[in-house]
Amino acid sequence: MRPGALGAVVILLLIWLVLYPNLFVLGDSLREGAEWTVENYRRFAESSSEREALWNSVWISAASVLFSGLIGVPLAFLFTRYSFPGRSILGGLVALPVLLPPLVGVIAFLFLYGESGFVARTVQGLLGLDRPPWRLTGPWAILLVHSYTMYVYFYLFTSAALARLDGGYAEAAAALGASRFTTLRRVTLPMLAPALAGAGLLVFMTSMGSFSAPYIFGGGFRVLSTQIYVSKLNGDLAIAAVETVILAGVSIAFLAMLQYYEARRIYTGAGKGAVGAGAAAKQGRGTTTLLGVLAWSLTILLLLPHATVLLVSFVPEGTWTTQLFPPTYSAENYVNLFSRPEMLTPIVNSFQMATIATAANVVLAFLAAYLLVRRQFRGKAILGALVILPWALPGTVLAMALATTFNADQPLAGRFLLVGTFAILPLAYFIRNIPLVTRAALTSFRQFDPALEEASASLGASWTTTMRRVALPLVLPGLAAGALLAFVTALGEFVASILLYTQRTRPISIAILSQLREFDFGGAAAYGVFLIALMALVFMLGYGKVSGTPGT
Amino acid sequence: MSGGAMTRSRLTIAALIAALVAGCSPSDGRQVLVVYSPHGPDLLRTFEERFETQNPDVDVQWLDMGSQEVLDRVRSERANPQADVWFGGPSQLFHAAAEEGLLQAFSPTWSSQVADYSDEQDRYQGVYLTPLIIAYNSEVVDSAAAPQDWDDFLDERWTDEILIRDPVASGTMRTLFGMVIQRSVRETGATDGGFDWLRQLDARTREYVLNPTLLYQKLSRREGLVTLWDMPDIEALRATTDYPIDYLYASSGTPLVEDAIAVVNGSANPELAGRFVEFIGEEGEVLLAAREFYRLPARTDIPVDSLPPELRRARDLIVPEPIDWQLLHERGPEWMRYWDENVRAG
Repeated sequence: MRPGALGAVVILLLIWLVLYPNLFVLGDSLREGAEWTVENYRRFAESSSEREALWNSVWISAASVLFSGLIGVPLAFLFTRYSFPGRSILGGLVALPVLLPPLVGVIAFLFLYGESGFVARTVQGLLGLDRPPWRLTGPWAILLVHSYTMYVYFYLFTSAALARLDGGYAEAAAALGASRFTTLRRVTLPMLAPALAGAGLLVFMTSMGSFSAPYIFGGGFRVLSTQIYVSKLNGDLAIAAVETVILAGVSIAFLAMLQYYEARRIYTGAGKGAVGAGAAAKQGRGTTTLLGVLAWSLTILLLLPHATVLLVSFVPEGTWTTQLFPPTYSAENYVNLFSRPEMLTPIVNSFQMATIATAANVVLAFLAAYLLVRRQFRGKAILGALVILPWALPGTVLAMALATTFNADQPLAGRFLLVGTFAILPLAYFIRNIPLVTRAALTSFRQFDPALEEASASLGASWTTTMRRVALPLVLPGLAAGALLAFVTALGEFVASILLYTQRTRPISIAILSQLREFDFGGAAAYGVFLIALMALVFMLGYGKVSGTPGT
Repeated sequence: MSGGAMTRSRLTIAALIAALVAGCSPSDGRQVLVVYSPHGPDLLRTFEERFETQNPDVDVQWLDMGSQEVLDRVRSERANPQADVWFGGPSQLFHAAAEEGLLQAFSPTWSSQVADYSDEQDRYQGVYLTPLIIAYNSEVVDSAAAPQDWDDFLDERWTDEILIRDPVASGTMRTLFGMVIQRSVRETGATDGGFDWLRQLDARTREYVLNPTLLYQKLSRREGLVTLWDMPDIEALRATTDYPIDYLYASSGTPLVEDAIAVVNGSANPELAGRFVEFIGEEGEVLLAAREFYRLPARTDIPVDSLPPELRRARDLIVPEPIDWQLLHERGPEWMRYWDENVRAG
């Protein structure tokens, strides 16, 4: 297909699904009744609490990027570059926090690190204090939750890039007399730049849109995402729209900055063919033991919230109050989960919707990444911005935009009645995950040499054959990593779901919310364990595929 | 990747998709009635079963969420309403919705019995009255030591021991805060005294809690010792869990929140929705709600001796706090905004 035509189709699709609905939100922010006005923006600018929320959102997000990177990148090096017993199992396990669904994760943190949680109680008991030693509240608590749940982006992106990185460069650097540190600084890190930038972007956007962590742990600490919620509940929809537009504006600015930076640094490797030779460094036996102990302790620390969810899932409702450990255990919560057919339906629903959305994501991401990396055509910059735009739009914004756009049948205006139908949630999941999957595909495309495709074409292969036999297998590890992340994200998606679900399409996250409303922590935890197990299964299947060497 | 593996994985995917599609169960042909409600699954499940027994051709489906969230959702779905009935939540939320044209007038046969608690234009009807109470951790605080009245919360000894359900999201707490401001307006003609009271409360407050579940959890785990909440939820909690939580009625006055029901404007089945509203207010159903879920009936013709002991006790102990609902409808949102911006500690 001609790149121009393919590009036009992809761009139009994205404009319709990503840009168009958000123009409705922008319109709302500029209107008071039927009149066009900037009055709402003036109200925003004059309110000290709004300005404070804006500033808090920005610095919390920047700090989340920093801390997530500081955890995720060293972990990736530890698990891809060094060998010790249990490396491959642990390497998979430390990716698990991404499988902690938003609500369940927050509950786990509460039971674990909250002021009446397990850790606080233990410390309090050991030191003989009459008050809990700390309170899980304020900006530090938000940062803790953010870095804990988001380092996985850095970890996965860096691991994938390290696995693809040609060891030859490091060898060459070493042969030329560079020290280990110089090699790291001058060769390895620059080669990782696209992956680091991608992960940084994901963390920044996720933090900007993050809702449950600041809402539950913020303790009066205002950020824009919670302000939107408050304004909406107060019925002040115009201010909510302004806050939404500002939030999107900051994210888009960050995005533009990153894209500018990325455009100036492109590294491709034309290697000697031994892909994935970022092999384990030489190390002594003492180092191996030390690293093993370190890796195991880190893994245990990172998996504590999962253990907590598991523990809570065996606690019968309303029995665990001030004791260090639950007084009784039973499988009651699991029996409830499986004995009520209506409690299984959400699981089926989520599975269906996530599958459909992810399949669409893979197709779109492959085409978009191919166009962006390999082709020159008019509108390329627009395409680049469009595939990234959904990350700049918090889930609530996307959901509201979809709800206002697709609630009427006006085919000529590009509007269809999707609200209240099955299609709306898969559509939302699909749109939310476009950047994630596309970034993964982009990173892969950038790291292999176009000469391979050219070779295929010069040997007489058609475009489709080249794509299928050469490009797809090479891109597959990265694309699969992105798709898996997208799938598990969609499986536990909460923020957009809560606005768009209907009784018939109730996803798992909404079922968990209902359990929580019913004071049933155990039931919610049982759902959480089921979800984590399901996600872990999918993830392990895929992780083997991702870490395995691609076909040549 | 070998050819065999490829075929196998394709087969797996095909089987997976087939299984997923099969999982889509078609509607069983019954007429669907969608109810949005904050009343909780236990109460909703009970009424779902009873209504479906009376109307075998109807499939009642409910979505359980906070009352403020129901309003938000009904608002968002204005162009294409998904709900038929909105069941539960303080009447000021219903009033706001009615003023925005989101509700449809309907007059059940029992409407004259709840006239005091309903909309003049019949856009919503009061069904239950929810007394707001003082709740405390009964392992640490005994009933004599607990705050006996709202003003006692400002006492030094409760510093950092008060938990409060986030009033922004909670219709119940909005009513309570509204009562405080109204007292000030009644006594001094201005809101200043009320906000000053709330500022002192804020200074003693340990935490604004996200949802009722967390509130009970934190209260029973002694993260805080006292809270302001509603009677039916605490009674239900005492009946179904071991949480050490007890409550008492404030001596100076108890606000009774009017808990309403309405037909959503644009409902796909307005006739059926009306039938459900009629059903919920029937004497038998109201008594069931009273006995099993501690809901105090709004209907004035329900004989007191048919109520369960907890509710008879409530009727004896409660000193009703006069509330100007009209004023609360008009100024409530503005007060909450002011509170959020200027009173709540940042």
